[in-house]
Amino acid sequence: MIRPGQLSIRHLALIFFSALLLFTGLIAGFAAWQTHSVARSMALHNENAVRSELALAVQRLLDTTHRQASDLALWDETRQQLVQPEYYTHWREHRVYESGLLSDRQTRSGLYGLDGRLLAPDPHPRPMPGTLTPGPSPHDPLLWLANEAGRAVLYATHPVYEDDNRQTLLGHVMIRRDVVATLLAREPQLLARATDISLSVRPGERLAATELLDRLGFVVQPNPDQLRFQSILSQTLLALFALMLAAATLGFVVYNRLLVRPLDRLSEDIDAMQRGHFNPRLSSARPMRISELETIRRSLCDYQLQLRKLHGSLENQNREFHSQARQDVLTGCYNRRAYDEDWEAFRAEVKTAPQGVAYLLFDCDRFKAINDTYGHAKGDRVLTIIAGALTMALRANDRLYRLGGDEFATFLSRTTPVQARQIAQRCESLIEAASFSELGIKEPVGLSIGIAFCEADAIDRVDDLPKQADIAMYAAKQPGRSRIALYGEDTRGTAQTLVASRETHALFQALSEPGMIELHYQAIHSLPGHRIDYYEALARIRDDGELILPAAFLPLVNSRRLETAFDLAVLNQLDADLLSGLLPAGCGISINLSAQSLPHAEVVSQLMQLSRHGDRHPLMLEITETSLITQMNEVRTYLELLRTVGYRIAMDDFGTGYSPLRYLVDLPVDVVKLDISLVSKLAEGNRAAQVVADFARMMSDAGYALVAEGVETPQVLDAVERLGIAQVQGELLGLPRPLAELATPSAAQESVLARAPDRENDPDAVEEGNQEAEQPEQRQAK
Amino acid sequence: MFLLCLLLVLPPSGATAAVVQQTMRPGIPATAEYLAGDRAKPAVLLIHGFQQTREFATVATLARGLNDAGYAVLAPTLSLGIPGRKQSLACEAIHRLGMDDDVAEIARWVAWLKARGHGSIVLFGHSFGSLQGLAYLADKPDPAVRGYLGISLIEARIGGADRAALVSRLQHSVATHKRDLVAHPLSFCRKYLASPESLLSYVRWDQARVLAVLKRPPVPVRLIMGDLDEMAGQNWLGLLQHVQVPMTVIRGANHFMDGEHEFDLLDTALEHLDALKTSPSR
Repeated sequence: MIRPGQLSIRHLALIFFSALLLFTGLIAGFAAWQTHSVARSMALHNENAVRSELALAVQRLLDTTHRQASDLALWDETRQQLVQPEYYTHWREHRVYESGLLSDRQTRSGLYGLDGRLLAPDPHPRPMPGTLTPGPSPHDPLLWLANEAGRAVLYATHPVYEDDNRQTLLGHVMIRRDVVATLLAREPQLLARATDISLSVRPGERLAATELLDRLGFVVQPNPDQLRFQSILSQTLLALFALMLAAATLGFVVYNRLLVRPLDRLSEDIDAMQRGHFNPRLSSARPMRISELETIRRSLCDYQLQLRKLHGSLENQNREFHSQARQDVLTGCYNRRAYDEDWEAFRAEVKTAPQGVAYLLFDCDRFKAINDTYGHAKGDRVLTIIAGALTMALRANDRLYRLGGDEFATFLSRTTPVQARQIAQRCESLIEAASFSELGIKEPVGLSIGIAFCEADAIDRVDDLPKQADIAMYAAKQPGRSRIALYGEDTRGTAQTLVASRETHALFQALSEPGMIELHYQAIHSLPGHRIDYYEALARIRDDGELILPAAFLPLVNSRRLETAFDLAVLNQLDADLLSGLLPAGCGISINLSAQSLPHAEVVSQLMQLSRHGDRHPLMLEITETSLITQMNEVRTYLELLRTVGYRIAMDDFGTGYSPLRYLVDLPVDVVKLDISLVSKLAEGNRAAQVVADFARMMSDAGYALVAEGVETPQVLDAVERLGIAQVQGELLGLPRPLAELATPSAAQESVLARAPDRENDPDAVEEGNQEAEQPEQRQAK
Repeated sequence: MFLLCLLLVLPPSGATAAVVQQTMRPGIPATAEYLAGDRAKPAVLLIHGFQQTREFATVATLARGLNDAGYAVLAPTLSLGIPGRKQSLACEAIHRLGMDDDVAEIARWVAWLKARGHGSIVLFGHSFGSLQGLAYLADKPDPAVRGYLGISLIEARIGGADRAALVSRLQHSVATHKRDLVAHPLSFCRKYLASPESLLSYVRWDQARVLAVLKRPPVPVRLIMGDLDEMAGQNWLGLLQHVQVPMTVIRGANHFMDGEHEFDLLDTALEHLDALKTSPSR
């Protein structure tokens, strides 16, 4: 079974011509077989005819011999010799032949007297028998066969009488002749019909003449006409076959040259084209003899030319697309896709050729604030300038990748930690020298650079470089430290690395698995009296029993743009807490929400669902003032919508952001929460305290409810109370507590005075406070 | 002499015909046809020509004619040395007997006729048979033989050879007992094969010897010749006439007197027989 595609045109040609030859051969063979059959039939017929002719010839020979013996016996001169044999020899050697009674001298004759003896000795080399072989009767003629000197001879005797009445027997005449020689001499036509005629008579054997035919052996001479016919037919068939063979061979050669080879060439060219290889000789190749094939070749040539053009165009486009696909549109440097590909290749390369490699991670400080403050256009320009500066600072073969947002990376081959740090410093210098002020940005734009290095002998750890650089980069972002941090030297060791790694893992796990986010609630007290008005829900992550504070994961949330997902997770957990019933009835809940999350319908939808708890727990939504709100109209719309379902809107961390007054004017804010940086000034008694106090009175006069955050000392509490701010919040009055602890009334109604000694005895509280003190920029996230 | 007669029915005349046989010499019988006739008339002993038999047409026809005329006719076939010869003898056959043997056989047949009561016998011969009959006449013929009729008589011709030299050579062979067969033209045979003695006996009968016998015949003789006889020599008729032998020349007849000349022959023969009735016996 021939599968599709297996049969080539050459095979087809071979099959066709082979079949032609086979068919011709079969016809020739059939003709030869038929001829052979006819020849056999004719040979059999010929043999029968020859046998019949031989039988007739033998009969004629017998008759002739008998007649000749009889004629001799009746011949006058025979009787003369029997009476007066003086000239018997003359009679025997001449007269019998001259008279015509014996036609050939091969036939010998002899006369025997009444005593049965030969009249005279026969001098012939094969003499006649000296005595007459007696027969049954002397008066009967005899014919018999005998072997004489190895030759079969026919003897005939006849009695010779003196008178016609056969009264007086004079003697006998005997003739002898060689059977085969006589037959062939007398029947020359037999020679044309039969060869090797022989007579089988054993020496001493005497056979009756009637057995002659049975003892006669012969080989039928083939019919010359038949032989000629067979020869002509055989030659014709052979010539036909040879002609067909030559024609088939020639046909195959012509077919091969005119069709197969050109088709092979076309097929190879098409295959090459399929593989993307173009045959440059196709257009200059010798024209094909078959017009249709030449048309195909020309078409293929034209098609190939067009295809080459198209291919070249596609290659250029592909290169362009490939380049574009690997290029960051905004900055012109390599994008994340290029980073992924090149990093994989870089890892593979350095593993096969170990060398010192470094991984540099760049992150723009406060870029989010810049972006929020000055808009995306200028943020983009900032990124472009940063990318240009970094590219310029890197070595010629180093590539700069934009991983996302304001984060860039590069990896350096064949380098040392010193060289890597020098490159990083060059990058920092060029960034510092960049003219961001031309963009109207007054704040200094800084760059934190995390460096991770891997020695050649530890190249298997090259995979850890990005993580290590990330840790180093965050170390660089820590305040009061160099903006360039080398992992290992500038980080606090392996423990911190593990923590950072664990926090990242815990964050993503918390986002995907409900229940890991745990809400702690910090009370907001009313003044005077320090009664708890409501609680602010603060997010924590519980990972393997350990509590991860916002300072550890919020930077990750911000850097990875996970605000919405994180806010949704917090809202889900809050919903669960509210459903648990552990919160005291009538106790309000304040929720922190990123301004970036608010325009998202899922967040708004979740907030709407939470509003069902409004009757039991009045809800407040805190929008941080530190974040740049770009979609002001949408935010305002959603806030007004939320107000309709019972939410109160608070401006959180007021005093630390970019456009506080604009937010107050444009957004439906009910409560303003003064940031700790302002509230702490109240206890200083200086001009700054006066400004804050005056600003607070102005806000109060404008109708905003004020909350003083970060009240940590009794002095500040006193100042706030004197100022008339109605509500306070801070460690002095109460630390964030788990939901379970809120269930106890005593805990809920704890007072700042009563708790002050306790707080000092609470190691967790002290630790949390320490952590938040160490990371002031994270306190805003609480 | 022993006679063995076989009677056969002969359709032409209704007369009795018989083949008689005599043993001429040991082992050699010879036959003759005997046609019985009027015993008052002379019997005719009719001798055939050279190498022929009594069946030869000229002889057989004449025999029938004579018999029809009332004459008893005995027509033998000379044996020529062959037992019971029935066939004309080929020229190339071996001839051992000579003229003397032929004369002896004629004598025996004359005797046979005499023994059969024929006291008057006329010897007829055709061609070489005429010569043999003439030889018989020359050698003490039987008194019963009353007449001789030679038809187309010729001598023993030997072609163009010198007869004297031939005779001399043959005589030498005979004298020296050389028995080798000799082939030589004789009569119409170009190659007559015979023993020297046999050939010599014939060669001696040349024209002169024939004419000599005819000049003084012991019995009345008569010759019947054809003027167109191609076998006869050019002057043979003239020589015959020169010796004044009674001779009838039939115009237009050839050597064999065939055709219409058969009747002339018969008439002439009958005339001769009639003439013999009136002639005195010896």
